[in-house]
Amino acid sequence: MTKDRKSGPTGSDAPGPDLKSERDQFLKKFTRGAKLTDDFLREVEQLQDRLRDLEAENAGLRAKVEADEAIRELLGKIERLETEKRELLNRYHRVEEVNSEFTARVQEVESEFANLANLFVASNQLHSSLSPRGVTRRIKEVLAQLVGAERYCMYLANQDNTELVPIAYEGVAGSALTPVKISDSELGQALLKGAASVSDHDPTAGTVQRPAAIIPLSVDEKTVGVIAIFSTLAQKKRFDTVDFELFKLLGQHAAAALVSASLFAHTDRKLPGLEAFLDLSV
Amino acid sequence: MAEYSCLIVEDSPMMRQLLVFALARVRNLRVTEADDGVDGLRKLASARYDIIVTDINMPIMDGLKLVKRVRMDPIHKDTPIIIITTEGSQEDRQRALQLGANAYITKPIQAPQVIATVKELLKID
Repeated sequence: MTKDRKSGPTGSDAPGPDLKSERDQFLKKFTRGAKLTDDFLREVEQLQDRLRDLEAENAGLRAKVEADEAIRELLGKIERLETEKRELLNRYHRVEEVNSEFTARVQEVESEFANLANLFVASNQLHSSLSPRGVTRRIKEVLAQLVGAERYCMYLANQDNTELVPIAYEGVAGSALTPVKISDSELGQALLKGAASVSDHDPTAGTVQRPAAIIPLSVDEKTVGVIAIFSTLAQKKRFDTVDFELFKLLGQHAAAALVSASLFAHTDRKLPGLEAFLDLSV
Repeated sequence: MAEYSCLIVEDSPMMRQLLVFALARVRNLRVTEADDGVDGLRKLASARYDIIVTDINMPIMDGLKLVKRVRMDPIHKDTPIIIITTEGSQEDRQRALQLGANAYITKPIQAPQVIATVKELLKID
C-alpha cells in the first residue's frame, strides 16, 4: 500500500490532495489520539498516585483502628491489674494484721510461759529441801532472784499470836528488826486479814516502817506469819502480775515447806515408816 | 541446721533452772551448767561453747574474773558473754562491758529478754 502511495497515478512523490487531506486528518486524529493517550496516561498516573495515597491512608486508618483497639485492650488490662492490685493490697493488709496479731499472741504466750516457769521453779525449789535452813535459803532466793527484793524479812507469829518475830532477813541490820505487835501494826493487819498488801509507792523506796509489800504465810488455811519486802532492787520499779502470783505461791508454800522441814528435823531426819501412810485412803 | 552450745555459770540452782527453762525456748541450743567460775573454766577447757551466760556474784571465782580469764583463752576469746547480775548501776554495766562482756542483764531476769539477747549474739532468728 505504501508502495501504491509512493507511485500514485500522477507519478509524482507528492501526495495527492485527498491523500494529503487524509494524512492531515490522520495526523490530526493521531495527534489528538496521542494527546488523549497522554491525557489518559497522566490520568492513569494520577489515579495510581491517588490509589497509593488512598492505600496509604487506608493503612494508616487501619493501623489507627488497630492502635485504638490495642489501647482499649491495654486500658482494660490496666483496670483489671488495678483491681487485682487493690485486692492484693487488701489481702496484704489483712495478712499483716493477722501477722501482727499472731506476733502479739506469741509474745503473750512466751511471757505467760516465762511466768509459769518462774512459778514452777519457785515451787520446785521451795520443796526441794527438808532442812529449815535450806528452805529459808530458798525462800530468800525466790525473793531476791525472782521478785527482785533487796531488803526483806520473814516473820512468824509467836505461840499466843500476839507478836510477829523476825526469823530471817536480808539487806537490813538484825538490830533494826524487833518483834512487832500484831494488834497495832501494818504487818499484823496483813496477818489478820490473810491477804497480801502492796504499797502504791515506789517499791525501791520502801522502808522497814513502810514496806513495799507484805505477804501473809499460811499453813493449812491458818496464817502463821508474814514476809515483809521493805524495798526492791533499783531496777525493780514496780510489781508485775508474775510477782503477785509469786506472792500467792510463797504465801501458800513457804510456811508449809518450813513447817515440814522443821518437823523432819525434829525427828532427826528420819523418814516416816510405811505405817504412817497406810490409813490415807480417801 | 547449725547447733549451738551454751554454758551457764551460776551458783544458784534456782537461777540455773530458770535459765535452762528460758534457753530451752531457743531451738538447737544445747545448754551445760556450771556451779561457779572455776567449774565454768573447767568446762570451757573440755569443750567449745558458742555463748556463755554468767552470774557475777559467785563463790570461789566470780563472773568478772571468769570474763577476764575467758578473754585470755585462745579458743573462747571471741565467745559472746552475757552477764547476769543484781547490780543495776551504769558503772557496773560499764565495768562488765569493759572487761569483755557482750551484754548485761539485771535480775530479776525476764526470760524473753534472755532469749532475745542470746539469739542476737548468736545471730539466729
